[in-house]
Amino acid sequence: MEEYAREPCPWRIVDDCGGAFTMGVIGGGVFQAIKGFRNAPVGIRHRLRGSANAVRIRAPQIGGSFAVWGGLFSTIDCGLVRVRGKEDPWNSITSGALTGAVLAARSGPLAMMGSAMMGGILLALIEGVGILLTRYTAQQFRNAPPFLEDPNQLPSKEGTPASSYPSYH
Amino acid sequence: MICFFLRAVQYTEKLHRSSRKRLYLPHLVLNKACLKTEPGLRWGLHEQKTARPGCILGVTPRAIWTQGQGPQRAKEDSSKQVSVHSQRGETAISTAQKVKEAGRDFTYLIVVIIGISITGGLFYVIFKELFSSSSPNKIYGKALEKCRAHPEVISVFGEPVKGYGEMTRRGRRQHVSFIEYVKDGLKHVRVKFYIQGSEPGKQGTVHAENPESGEYEFRYIFVDLETYPRRTIIIEDNRS
Repeated sequence: MEEYAREPCPWRIVDDCGGAFTMGVIGGGVFQAIKGFRNAPVGIRHRLRGSANAVRIRAPQIGGSFAVWGGLFSTIDCGLVRVRGKEDPWNSITSGALTGAVLAARSGPLAMMGSAMMGGILLALIEGVGILLTRYTAQQFRNAPPFLEDPNQLPSKEGTPASSYPSYH
Repeated sequence: MICFFLRAVQYTEKLHRSSRKRLYLPHLVLNKACLKTEPGLRWGLHEQKTARPGCILGVTPRAIWTQGQGPQRAKEDSSKQVSVHSQRGETAISTAQKVKEAGRDFTYLIVVIIGISITGGLFYVIFKELFSSSSPNKIYGKALEKCRAHPEVISVFGEPVKGYGEMTRRGRRQHVSFIEYVKDGLKHVRVKFYIQGSEPGKQGTVHAENPESGEYEFRYIFVDLETYPRRTIIIEDNRS
């Protein structure tokens, strides 16, 4: 497929930034709508107006914060991939911690460390969820494990017959 | 009767107004404790103090500042819930109230325990993946190190060699495909990932197998080149 033939990395940043912005706007919109509804005076028209007002003012701000978080995370992630040369869950956790630290830079070193820990832990949890999902959805498709021969690219030791590739997951 | 209610309404209004100042202290503490806060709201809190952690945690703000006050005011505030004759100055809480509170506390306890167990499970998964020596990710890391150190691989691919796994939808390639199987009573893990060097157009697939008994032994590692004709570089072959 065309999109898999190219390197994901610099374009992933734009992808993640946009995705995070959308998440922030939709999630923030829902939360602010409910909050605006609740904090408005009695009467359905006041409430709807308060709700719409709260969404109009706050949802783009929340979307913007999410976009900054997502874009910075993805940038640091791509940077780490480039430096280390391999793609790992460690990259994500470190990127999360560094993003947390950078975004709290105005509040001093102690806040930066706390923020870094939170970012790292958040990303470790997200990675855990990702790993769980990948493993368990892949396991659904696995049939009974066959008796696996050694791959036929290796020189055969005693002339064992070459077998086709087992299914990976 | 009516002036009682009027006084109760006046008290709640005063408390509501004075609570605005007290809301900041508990919510900053709650925010540090709450791991599930959205990051956007977290950053926003430093500038705008209008976020309401109460709504996120599911505990209403009224409950937060009620506990911060003295028992007398708490009683006057909950006058709407308790019947009027508690205004006579009783300090004992009726049993119905106790049962309700115990039920509420119990529900919160269940929610907290569920949350902690899910978080603990996720942490266990991620630790096992990153730190256990027989996880596919570790095998991938070690095999990649051996590939990088091999002179033939370096000559074909050029330095630096980078490795990656399967491409997922979002474009991240962290998942390394693997198979676990049992042979002769020993568990083996077979791993497949891709490498690419600085030479353009050359890509390889690395197959590695590791028995779970040894940490640093590989049964075999070889690289399959995508060139035509197919070429295989065998890095290690320890099949007994």
